[in-house]
Amino acid sequence: MALNIAIIILTMAGTLFFIGTTVGLIRFPDFYTRMHAAGKGDTLSTVLILFGLALYQFHHLSVSTLLVGFKIIFIAVLIFIASPTATHAIMDAGYEAKVEYWKNKLLNWPRRQGEED
Amino acid sequence: MKAIALIVTLLLGGLLIAATADLPDWGDPNSPASVHVSQYYIENSLEQTSVPNFVTSVLADYRGYDTMFETTVIFCAGLTVFAILRRAHRRRQKAVNPRPEREDKDLILQSAARMIVPMMQLFALYVVAHGHHSPGGGFQGGVILGAGFILLAVAYDLKTVLARLREKTVLRLSAVGVLIYSGIGFVCLLLGSNFLNYSAWARIMPFGPIEARSHGMLGVEVGVAITVLCIMFSLYVDLASGGEMDEGL
Repeated sequence: MALNIAIIILTMAGTLFFIGTTVGLIRFPDFYTRMHAAGKGDTLSTVLILFGLALYQFHHLSVSTLLVGFKIIFIAVLIFIASPTATHAIMDAGYEAKVEYWKNKLLNWPRRQGEED
Repeated sequence: MKAIALIVTLLLGGLLIAATADLPDWGDPNSPASVHVSQYYIENSLEQTSVPNFVTSVLADYRGYDTMFETTVIFCAGLTVFAILRRAHRRRQKAVNPRPEREDKDLILQSAARMIVPMMQLFALYVVAHGHHSPGGGFQGGVILGAGFILLAVAYDLKTVLARLREKTVLRLSAVGVLIYSGIGFVCLLLGSNFLNYSAWARIMPFGPIEARSHGMLGVEVGVAITVLCIMFSLYVDLASGGEMDEGL
């Protein structure tokens, strides 16, 4: 019972973060902020859902379910390392290629260096 | 020369298209594949080859010829890319202007690659060796091995990786893979059996003819993996740098 509740909470949280990622990916104004949403939200939600699935395997403890559970946790660890790195690489490539970043003229943000209000 | 090549290509292509007319229709319920061939493999492959995954036993044993020439096709494709890009490089050497080198090395990418690449290589060996029992085998494992080296080349640069795995070694190893495959088949011929009939190995090895087929498949998969690894890496190196072997991307 407690296990089921934990699984449900993990997968629901993962789905919630996925929705946040999608909204951010669509609604954010420029390349960098969109990558920010995709990189962080995607990683966390995938890892949460995978942990939920791994816990689901531990309902019946036997060698095969333990093996599957640990394989899923392994995938989660891999995603936790690889996904932010890939986001960083794409972001860095965009910075190198001088992709324009978003400016809000109304709020005068971000301010240039040495500029005062 | 180009005209001859064009004629040969057109003739071969026409021949192949004409040959497709003789194939059974897609999904035809009366074709041999859906009537008795699949049935035979599903029912008999375990007791005949002692390999639980009958996709592997069909691929590497019953249809060993097909897979051997698939490996050869990959080998030839790699050599073709190598030959074309190296010659083109010599012709337009002056046209290429080198990219400015970045001084700051990307620490995040390099540390992540350092962590991930050993895991990838271990997983690739697992995929190669476990192809008998689960999805996997030489082609898949070879691709993962090659991707490990490509990841290193992306995170560091081409020079660093080429210092560890020289181009000469790569090309030689890719031939060695095909040689392992055809060599295993040829030994069967020497032992007085058909080409690629692995059960002949039982005569010189301490196991029965059925286990010999299983072990023969493993040897063949290793050969495929070596060729695929080398050709993947060679393709990447040639395409990324336009045959120049400098930093490239």
